[in-house]
Parts: sequence; C-alpha cells; structure tokens
Amino acid sequence: MTALLDIRDLSVAFDTDEGSVRAVRGVSYSVEEGEVLGVVGESGSGKSVHALAIMRLIPAPPGRMESGEIRFDGQDLLSLDRRRMRDVRGKRISMVFQDPMSSLNPVYSVGFQLRETLRLHLDLGRGAATGRACELLELVGIPDPRQRLSSYPHELSGGMRQRVMIAMALAGNPRLVIADEPTTALDVTIQAQIIELIKELREELGLTVIWITHDLGIVAGLAHRVNVMYAGYVVERGPVRAIFKRPSHPYTVGLLSSMPRMDRKDAGGLRPIPGRPPDLARLGPGCPFQPRCPLADDGCREAMPPFDETGDPGHHVRCWKWPEARAGHDGGLSLDA
Amino acid sequence: MTPDSVPLLEVRGLKKYFPVRSGLVFDRKVGDIKAVDGVSFEIHRGETLGLVGESGSGKSTVGRSVLRLIEPSAGEVLLDGRDFLAVKGRELRRLRRRMQMIFQDPFASLDPRLPVHAIVSEPLEVEGGIGRKELRERVDHLLDLVGLDTGSRNRYPHEFSGGQRQRVGIARALALDPDLVVCDEAIASLDVSIQAQIVNLLQRLQEHFRFSYLFIAHDLSMVRHVSNRIAVMYLGKIVETAPTEALFDNPAHPYTRALMSAVPVPDPDIEATRRRIILEGDIPSPANPPRGCAFRTRCPVAMVRCSQQVPRTLEIGSGHFAACFRAAEPAAPP
Repeated sequence: MTALLDIRDLSVAFDTDEGSVRAVRGVSYSVEEGEVLGVVGESGSGKSVHALAIMRLIPAPPGRMESGEIRFDGQDLLSLDRRRMRDVRGKRISMVFQDPMSSLNPVYSVGFQLRETLRLHLDLGRGAATGRACELLELVGIPDPRQRLSSYPHELSGGMRQRVMIAMALAGNPRLVIADEPTTALDVTIQAQIIELIKELREELGLTVIWITHDLGIVAGLAHRVNVMYAGYVVERGPVRAIFKRPSHPYTVGLLSSMPRMDRKDAGGLRPIPGRPPDLARLGPGCPFQPRCPLADDGCREAMPPFDETGDPGHHVRCWKWPEARAGHDGGLSLDA
Repeated sequence: MTPDSVPLLEVRGLKKYFPVRSGLVFDRKVGDIKAVDGVSFEIHRGETLGLVGESGSGKSTVGRSVLRLIEPSAGEVLLDGRDFLAVKGRELRRLRRRMQMIFQDPFASLDPRLPVHAIVSEPLEVEGGIGRKELRERVDHLLDLVGLDTGSRNRYPHEFSGGQRQRVGIARALALDPDLVVCDEAIASLDVSIQAQIVNLLQRLQEHFRFSYLFIAHDLSMVRHVSNRIAVMYLGKIVETAPTEALFDNPAHPYTRALMSAVPVPDPDIEATRRRIILEGDIPSPANPPRGCAFRTRCPVAMVRCSQQVPRTLEIGSGHFAACFRAAEPAAPP
C-alpha cells in the first residue's frame, strides 16, 4: 500500500486575547489509499482544526500554520498557490461537515447547488451536469432523484440533507473524503444508514476516508486505523483492534472505561476520567493529560513523551507510562480518584 | 425494587397535541401535531425509568407535560394517586416542588446574570420560611453534594465548563428535596469523559436521597446503564416497556430491535460480525402519522393488518409490554 496522505509535524496556532493558542501540536501520520482512518477526540482536541488545515481552510488571521508538511499523492499541499489549491479541494480531497443545514444554501434548490459544483469541478455543460447530478443522488440512495433536484434543503430531512452533502462531496470524483462528525446531528437509525452508505461508497469507488468523531463506537465498526487526539496531540495511533483491545494511553483506557456498553450488562459503575479537558492557553511543558492521569509523576509534568512503539505492528503511543496504562486496562485501571 | 402498591407517578393516556394553524387573515386550525398520543407509564419510588426515542418521538414533550411546563391535551398524571392535572393555585405549587427537571443545555437553563449561590437558593427563597444563615448553609451543602467547592458560590455560569454548569443545574433541582427528577437529555451536550462523571453523580444522589428519575435520552447505552425499566417511544407512542434486562435480552418490538442494532459498540470484533437492521427512510411527520401502526412504514416485518389496525399494548412477559401484532413471535432469524 502507498500513502495517499502524509502529514509531518503539523502545528496550527490561533492568536487570541489570551495569547497564542496551539490547537494542533506536531501531528504526523499517513493514510493509505483505500483505508478508513478514524480520528477520535473530544471538543478542543484539535481533530477538526487539523482537518481544516489539510484543506488549507484555516482562517488567517487569527489562525497560523506554525509548522508542518502535508503531502497528498506526492504533492506538497502547503506550497501550492491559491488557484492550484482550489483545484485540490473538491476534486481530489473533499469534506463532509456535521451540520448539513448550515453547509447547504437555503435559497437554492439541491439541483442548482449540485450542478454548480459539477460545472465548477468538471466543466460540464448544463444537460450533462443535470444528468450527473441525478446519478450522484441515486448513488447516495436518495429516492426519486430527478424530483429531488428541485427540492430545497428545508424540504429534506436531516438524513437526506446529509446524503446530499455526500453527493456534493463526491461530485468532483475526489480520492480522499474527510468527514467531520457527519452523523453527530442525526438520529441513531439514520446514522446507521449513513455509515452503511459510506462503507458501500468506499468499496464501490475505492475512496479513502478520514472519519472524525467523538464516538468510539462508530470508529470500532468503520475504521481500519485510529488516531486518538487530546489537546492538539495525537496521543495514540494504531490498527483499530490494537486501539480497542490493547489501548495503551491512559486517556484511551479512560475513555473506554467511562463509556457504558449497549451490548452488555455493566459490571459495576462507570469509571469516569476525573477533571476536565485542559485550557489550551495554559498548557505546561509536560503531557497535557497529566493533571487527569492516575499514573502521572514528575517526569510527566516535565516533558511530553515522544511516540513509543508498543510492539503491536503500527501501534504507537505518546506516554511515559504506557505499559502501566495497558496493564491497567486489562486489570480495570481505576481513573476515578 | 419492591413495587409499592401506589406508584409515585402514574401517567395514563397522556396526549399533547399542538394545533397547526394556517391563514393570515382568518386564523384557522388545519390539523394537529400529535407530539404525544396516548402514553401511559408509572414510576415507583427510588426507581429510574428510562424513556428513549429519536427526535420527534415526543419523549421531551412527555417530560414537560408531566411537570405541566406545558399543559397536556388529555390524560391523567397522578402523583401519589392524586390528580396533578386537576390541582390549581397553592396546591399546584405544593405538588410541583416535588418534581424537578434537569435540562439538556446548562448554558441555556441557568440565568447568566445570577451567581451560583443565587441560582441554587432561588427555589428555597421562593419556598420561604428559611433564615439567611440556614439558607447559606443549605446552598453550601447542595454545592458540596454535587461536587462544587464553596469557592464557586460567587461565580457566574459563564465561568464554568459544561460539566460544572450541569452540576449547578443538579444542585438547583435538588434544592427542594424532590421525589421525582426528570432528566431531559441531561448529559447529551457533554464530552464523553464528562458524561460518566455526571451520570455517576446522578446515581450517587439517587442512592442518597431515594428519589425517582424519569431519564429521557436518545443514548440507549446510557439508558441501559442507569435505568431499572425502559420505555421506548416512537412517533408519540410508547411501543415497548420492560425491565431493563428483559428489554435487552428479548426486545419484542421491531423498532426496539432496530434501535438496538443501530447503536455502535466500541469493540471492533463485535462490530465486524454484527448484523444491522437498517431501517428505510425517516420518522414520519407527527402531523400526518401513518394509519394503523405508526412504525409500519419503516418496519421490516410489517403485514397488511398493520396498516388497518392500531396494535394494542399487550403484556408479553412479566412487566414487559409491547404494542405490535408480531411481538409474540421470536426475533427474525439472522
């Protein structure tokens, strides 16, 4: 397999009243052609900001790319001029956002917006664009596609709107789709429909997908590999089985033991992670999870650990104490102080 | 749980219709949105009833109607056997203090201009008959119970994180020592790592005070975790009610089965072998629900009969009720 996307040492900062806040900190990873990468994190983890950085959609100012290299299909995206970057967006990498209602223009019909996208990306004539728009709506499972072209966004349900957004994301035949919490605003039965659709599309079109979510459950069923993000860092990354069966960062361990499971009766109570996510403007030099971590010691407060290999192929973790965290997962580490 | 003879709360045939109006000059009613359409359930002392459903199921409207934050269109709400919908004035206020609500959005449900101690003491002051010193002690005690240090009593809601704000909302709800607490998506807007903190707090408080919860949520995993019994709503009706383990061991309504199968499980091995029931289409509009069984338009096992008759709720096991003609059949073979 070859890396379709290769990110090295990506850092993004925002200038705020409280000084410079680094939202993404030295993120490096690669995505193979045809795989689904799950990116998991809570609010403020940098998962969405890093995706916007890939698309070079970080508003500057106040945003700033501090460092990094983003290579897509061998091409350095950060060196492209604006015109050539526009060609990458939509045609080679596209995005699907959480809220389709605010991504679609309410005063234009679905057909108008799809045709506009098609004519822009593929330089299609009117007739050809309409035909292709129909095909796309059919591809994403919208019934009566020809009639739906004249519908306005408010006439569609949330699930249908998200299907339209996916159709628009596919309009330029991209190779990589970045989906940022695409099902968070949807009901669970509709979420199941959309996940199924993405799985089908991936197989049919050979798409590569980065799926950003706070929901570990979705990632377990969809992703091949997983990045766990916390306070701007990727703190653990690896194949999906390694992440769920042998989690090695105390944060990942804590997340898994704080979630109730629908599929089984829980043994005892939930074990929450104490404390709360850090204020990014006030991070010390050490590990950002250290104030909430039961394993933390002075070393953790002094320096952020580099990635260490856990021994499972492709499984890396940024924690000084990961062997203890992993053992804690197996034995039911209690993070509840 | 030992079922007492008179449940704490009994809801019978609860309906809430919102009129649909049309016309600029001649305002006329053209129909009803049947947000809640004949819902019955009971909650015993110290019990947690989970009420699950998707958006548009009417679950939040049930919670609000029970507390008379909105007036129900029909039905009965009995608190300790007394008709809560019939009372007025002082008697209404007296009964109302026994039922409190914790809202989804702690950002919207707390007055931004009041410091925390004023937010928590407000119900006590309205109630009256409490001295300044006692009031202060009581507020500090409540803040302590929900895990906020007393140093936070003079701070304002915007100074808190979402989880801490929800703790303030809980302290306020508990100020008058209620018998029933309605949690309406109380943890839905919190980060995953904070949700467990708040749920554990809710459970500890219940053990301490022995009140009951009506726990309204869309998150089936969390509902399973907290509830003694669960009621599943679809399009204004309860389609299935059962003790929690009975519901998960033997879900009888096709909607319950579909809902369970749609919830992702954080285990790749299980996910790889699970068979999902993918429901077609969307929840229909409550302004124009399907005739017969409301679920039949999306139901994978619907029959002709389902479009002709409304299925009655039948007891299919001990305390296990389902409203489906096919509920008694075993689950469809995989």
